[in-house]
Amino acid sequence: MEQTKTLKKKRGLLFYISIYRKILIQDLKSKMSYRADFIISNFGMIISNMSGFVTFMILFHNFPSINGWNYYHMLFLYGFSLIALTPVQCFFDNNWNLRFMVRSGDFIRYCFRPINVFFYFISEVFDVKGLGQFAFGLGTFIYAWCHLGIPVTIVTVSQAVIFLLTASLFMIAIMNAAAATCFWIINSGYVMVIMNRFRDFAKYPASIYNKVFKFIFSFIIPIAFVAYYPSLVFITPDNVPLLTWLSPLIGAFFFYLSYKFWMLGVRRYDFTGS
Amino acid sequence: MNSIKRLTALTRAGVMESLQFRLGTVVTLFGNLIYLALVYFLWKAIYDSCGSSVVNGMTFYDTMIYLILATAIFNFLEMFIIWDMSRSIQSGEIILHLLKPMKYRLYTFWSYSGTHLISFFLTFLPTFIVVMIITKGAIPLGWNFLFFVISLTMALIINFNIDMLVAPICLYTESTWGINMVKETIVLLLSGATIPLAFFPDSIRRVVEYMPFRAVYDMPLTILLNKDGANTMNGLLSMLGTQLIWCIVLTIAGNLFWNHAVKRITVNGG
Repeated sequence: MEQTKTLKKKRGLLFYISIYRKILIQDLKSKMSYRADFIISNFGMIISNMSGFVTFMILFHNFPSINGWNYYHMLFLYGFSLIALTPVQCFFDNNWNLRFMVRSGDFIRYCFRPINVFFYFISEVFDVKGLGQFAFGLGTFIYAWCHLGIPVTIVTVSQAVIFLLTASLFMIAIMNAAAATCFWIINSGYVMVIMNRFRDFAKYPASIYNKVFKFIFSFIIPIAFVAYYPSLVFITPDNVPLLTWLSPLIGAFFFYLSYKFWMLGVRRYDFTGS
Repeated sequence: MNSIKRLTALTRAGVMESLQFRLGTVVTLFGNLIYLALVYFLWKAIYDSCGSSVVNGMTFYDTMIYLILATAIFNFLEMFIIWDMSRSIQSGEIILHLLKPMKYRLYTFWSYSGTHLISFFLTFLPTFIVVMIITKGAIPLGWNFLFFVISLTMALIINFNIDMLVAPICLYTESTWGINMVKETIVLLLSGATIPLAFFPDSIRRVVEYMPFRAVYDMPLTILLNKDGANTMNGLLSMLGTQLIWCIVLTIAGNLFWNHAVKRITVNGG
């Protein structure tokens, strides 16, 4: 009894970090053999992000503002959302393969390892094309930050880092939950495709919606937390709603829920005995 | 006669295959509804903040109808040729397709035709009818619907050919995701599916006029809505003519490129 307890203790954060590093290096090694793919994927990512930028340029060529948000406000929101969406792209991309693995039965091999199934499955893939998005998002973010004249102090910068990190939890939670539906519905890829389309919604201010949709996008598909709520800290610093300050906690809660849902699916998968 | 039978057999197989995933259709429809709600709120906010009700010849309702139908056309046109081709190259399955006593391009086109037929009746038509009822006759109904169907068919052929032009690039680069992303982004942006072409700055629009992407979304929609350029016989004919020319040019280019690329296929093992 005592022994298992110490064993469990060893499996702390450090243990998982060292495992993650090892798996990551293996994955990157295999990715390096496709250098052209690395370049083209990142190019594709940047082109697709740039089209969002161009969309705003065209919109604001015709219209001065959207619901009180001007061009640079929107770019700030866009940059914020791109950075906050990078972790789900880079670290949680293996969710897209889950349904194939579950269907073919390959998934069972993850259940036989003496480490957390979710951790092991997710750590297997690091998606390099997220780096292109990160670079483009950071550029947009800084560009808008400068134009809005937000002061650069220790407080604002650390706020930015904390809110960016916690905002990323929301999309991760959404995609985890969407991927986990494949434990119940065969070939549920379309759920992921649709949820993935919602990520495009993150770049618009949630203030444009009516009450019903604002509620849906805040608490059911929490897309408004990806960029809108957290960036209010910088855009309207004198008038920050309570939800913004609570968003780190809500993010952790959503992530926990999605993790539990995912693991519930794994339990169910074990029992089918395939 | 025999060959037509062969082709319609492929269509029928596609119809049956897409009817299998009914739950998928329902979920997609639901996703579309939420997406359209977003488009509605966004453009409502845009027009509310702007003050004038007509911008670049487009009212709020024009923009909405245009974008809703563009989404419906997007669902109708969606093909996964690039993905399918790269998957069948990776698995070696492409050899089976090449050995069939039928041209590969023709085979692909007709296997997709069933899916298109279903999505026309299950997604495009219902969307169109709902829009018509809600807007109470903002869409003029008459001969333009016939021309629209002709135009949409050509848009389908153009879209197919763009895909078939891009897909073989994967044979050379071994990168599917990036190529597909670039294609999708360029087509959606420059065809007017994200923002109606009427809002583009003049300089950009003049360039876009000479590209084939406009023929995929903007032209069928302009014909259907009977907007500028399509409301005269001359304008209508020139649009349909442009589409026809793009059909021919892209088909020839696609054929040449495919014939060249197919020689590059290497399948490892059996």
